[in-house]
Amino acid sequence: MTVTDVKALAEALTNAVGPENVMHETAGYSIDGAVPSIVVLPKSIESLSSAMAAASEFGAATAPWGGGTRMALGNTIQRLDVVADLSGLDRVVQHTPGDLTVTVEAGVTLARLQETLREHSQFLGLDPPLPQRATVGGTLATAVSGPAKWQYMSPRDVVIGMKVVSADGTVTKSGGQVVKNVSGYDMSRLHVGGLGTLGIIVEVSFKLTPTPRREATLLASYPSTTDCLKASLEIFGSQVVPLGMATLDSAANERAGVASVDDARLLAVRLAGRPMTLDRQLRDSTAICRDAGAAAVERLDDDAAASLWRRVSDFGWDERTAPTIGCRASLVPSALPEVVADLEQIGTSLGLTPAIVCHPAHGTVLAHWFAQDGSVGTGGLTAMLSAAGDSVRGAAGHMVIDRCPAEVKAGLDVFGDAGDSLPIMKSLKEQYDPGNLLNPGRYAGRI
Amino acid sequence: MNKRRLIKGLERIVGRGAVLHHPDDLLVFEYDGSVDRAAPTAVVFPTSTHEVSDVVALAHREGIPVVPRGAGTGLSGGSIAVEGGIEIALTRMRRILKIDAANRIAIVEPGLVNLDLSQATARFGLFFAPDPSSQRACTIGGNVAENAGGPHCLRYGVTTNHVIGLEVVLEDGSVVSLGDRFLGWPGYDLVGAFVGSEGTMGVVTRVVARLLPVPQAVRTLLAVFPTVDQASSAVSRVIGSGMVPTALEMMDSLAIKAADASVHAGYPKEAGAVLLVEVDGLTEAVEEEAAEVQQVCERHQPIEIRTATDPLEREKLWAARKGVLGALGHLAPNYSMGDGTVPRTRLPEVMARVGEISKEFGLPIANVLHAGDGNLHPAVLFDERNPDETRRAYEAGGEILKLCVEVGGALTGEHGIGLEKQEYMPLMFSADDLEAMAGLKVAFGTGDLLNPGKIFPTGKSLPGASQSAAVGRAGAGAYI
Ligand SMILES: Cc1cc2nc3c(=O)[nH]c(=O)nc-3n(C[C@H](O)[C@H](O)[C@H](O)COP(=O)(O)OP(=O)(O)OC[C@H]3O[C@@H](n4cnc5c(N)ncnc54)[C@H](O)[C@@H]3O)c2cc1C
Repeated sequence: MTVTDVKALAEALTNAVGPENVMHETAGYSIDGAVPSIVVLPKSIESLSSAMAAASEFGAATAPWGGGTRMALGNTIQRLDVVADLSGLDRVVQHTPGDLTVTVEAGVTLARLQETLREHSQFLGLDPPLPQRATVGGTLATAVSGPAKWQYMSPRDVVIGMKVVSADGTVTKSGGQVVKNVSGYDMSRLHVGGLGTLGIIVEVSFKLTPTPRREATLLASYPSTTDCLKASLEIFGSQVVPLGMATLDSAANERAGVASVDDARLLAVRLAGRPMTLDRQLRDSTAICRDAGAAAVERLDDDAAASLWRRVSDFGWDERTAPTIGCRASLVPSALPEVVADLEQIGTSLGLTPAIVCHPAHGTVLAHWFAQDGSVGTGGLTAMLSAAGDSVRGAAGHMVIDRCPAEVKAGLDVFGDAGDSLPIMKSLKEQYDPGNLLNPGRYAGRI
Repeated sequence: MNKRRLIKGLERIVGRGAVLHHPDDLLVFEYDGSVDRAAPTAVVFPTSTHEVSDVVALAHREGIPVVPRGAGTGLSGGSIAVEGGIEIALTRMRRILKIDAANRIAIVEPGLVNLDLSQATARFGLFFAPDPSSQRACTIGGNVAENAGGPHCLRYGVTTNHVIGLEVVLEDGSVVSLGDRFLGWPGYDLVGAFVGSEGTMGVVTRVVARLLPVPQAVRTLLAVFPTVDQASSAVSRVIGSGMVPTALEMMDSLAIKAADASVHAGYPKEAGAVLLVEVDGLTEAVEEEAAEVQQVCERHQPIEIRTATDPLEREKLWAARKGVLGALGHLAPNYSMGDGTVPRTRLPEVMARVGEISKEFGLPIANVLHAGDGNLHPAVLFDERNPDETRRAYEAGGEILKLCVEVGGALTGEHGIGLEKQEYMPLMFSADDLEAMAGLKVAFGTGDLLNPGKIFPTGKSLPGASQSAAVGRAGAGAYI
């Protein structure tokens, strides 16, 4: 049920955060077509806490909003009254370079954070799309990073402490600012990937990594997808530990504008280390790429490499490359060649063009399908998605739909089947948001 | 249910040979590596998930508390029986179900000994990174429950970074699988939430562990400094100058003295602190990083630096560090060991404060540290037969914990809260924080039967801890 007394709600929220921090012009904050009645832009954790306390009194459904880059993710929201825009929570609370740790508020963008860290030759091992806009909170809530993952770690592995505001405004914390800590349960794990359904992430402590002394990227092109993936899996199986690795099929390459090679499948390997170490990794990786049948292997440095990775990471998320359908499949890495071969065929008979990017070491497939505007109807897209899902499940994998038209979304659970752990997930929601106020219905199992 | 019927019921599930209930047989199951002890009514040794589930379900029906138990090397009382309940020992579930080298994972039963996993995967050139010093004895299930670390987790991370799937039996006996053989299971990260729950959210019956490639080369460097301050500064400097060695360990002069007496490492007499640094990886990386570490150490006026690459020589450099615990017995009949963590840049100041606390309470404190991650293991030495000394030892330990929290650190870096530090939790967490944590346990279906009365404060007075009796069970080669 949506809040009926919008005026009273607006008044209460205005009292909580101050008139300068509420917006009644809310069209820019639509989630799959649902538009909130009011947007609050708190400038402090306390102010957000008061806003949530007030909103929950009204039973108002609230969606936290970071940079708005990933609002396409999630099931159709059941109700929406308030959007809490967190871009005002933008302080770097504490950065102690010597500790290799940083504490920031959730609204800090990844670009700004990395810039602050770069001055001290450090970085955070997270590389989400659109870092100029993507915030720390949104990146963690969706738990989706880009191809760069230090030592194969994922978003959950870089968080050492977290502060959260609950649906009723209570502020709680877990973990701390030290890299090793087992004091109490690790509550942050619930919120990383929790899509803001159990609480709003407001402050995060991360462990950092020293910037490698040198860096270089290898770009290998292949006539066949199979060989390209095979090369990437061999690098995964070797002693080389890339800072990032991705493959792109020819359609993805063309749309992302990564390399001007026609009809080529690309493997990009980002390597780093001190001079001798980097050379060694370049040598080993080049040999692996060539043995797997690369038509060409090229080395990119500095800006050329940076721009390549930016394009790979942003692909499918910026307006220019946003697909009609975007899916993320997770598998054991060895199953990639078979599944990718399958996905490349799906949808083509309907006139959809697939474009596939993989992060092979993580067993991640990012499959995008592009349609001419409106050329494929809801029925066709739904059938295509179910074929893709079957293929992924056939390889014992999982598929999450990152993006699809609202009409298609209405008929399915974009997260797929959470299996026998769904009852625990539902009781988590019951524990932390009994009123079902945070992003209601958007999560797995329509939590 | 009376005891006889309970035993009968358990025997029907697991077989007669798999239930211990005579007081004599139960003795070794009364304690773990901590000070507390309590007798269980019975210890059961299931051999399958199915049996675990049936045992837990029986206990649930009868309202009997259950405590999961691995090797009993825990240092915070996690596997100690409660309220005359039963212990479920997982030590007979120790099979490696699958090694999938291509995908770098292994699927194992919880009773598997930590080191056995790495030994089994060595022929594929892979290893399981978490390496608690008790790794010859402790189980993977215990590691998951405690989110165990180890000397090499500075570079590689702790257990939670290496476990991606679990099968667990909840308090009512139901079996659920969490996560998968890869990351990306839809919905909340229940595996991440479970790891480190100290046996309060379910009995682990299966683990999907990530494996890493065995490094091509390893080099160990030992630097002897005149003072703890210089060694601590060197630690900050190594981290601050952009290096993350695999291990970065420290001992202070008292620890050195104790160890030297038993392993004869031959350190210079004026040694005030010893740093042990290990780097591993590609041959080239090891060479380059070791050279830099050495340069940094040299800037802090060491008395001497030794390095080694071959396994035997490296083992010699580690010998004193690994021998400290056993050697403390030469200095005093008992010790009480802490496990706090502090931000690494605060180490010099914190170590100085620990020295002052030692003076204030009139008791020697020997320090071993996983210095690279700011994890202290101060051992307050005392004699249990002297009640006043015992009281002061516990108070000194408490002071150090408070100090850790004050400088932005944590109560425990790797040993867990359990029974030992539960009363200190309010130092770090507010009532709201603790309530939120308690909600997690409820969501997993835990009421008051699965390892109850641990982790959360009960309001009792602050307890103390002495682990001197414990180390034996971790077996030869264990250290802290
Ligand atoms: C000499 C020595 C050195 C040590 N060094 C380190 C170190 O370097 N790093 C470190 O982190 N720890 C260290 N420890 C502590 C201890 O070894 C670890 O906590 C270890 O993970 C405990 O494993 P265990 O099998 O002995 O578990 P136990 O002691 O038997 O149990 C520990 C906890 O785990 C629970 N548990 C056990 N099995 C299961 C299961 N299958 N399912 C659910 N819960 C379960 C128990 O209920 C209990 O709460 C050391 C201990 C000693 C004695």
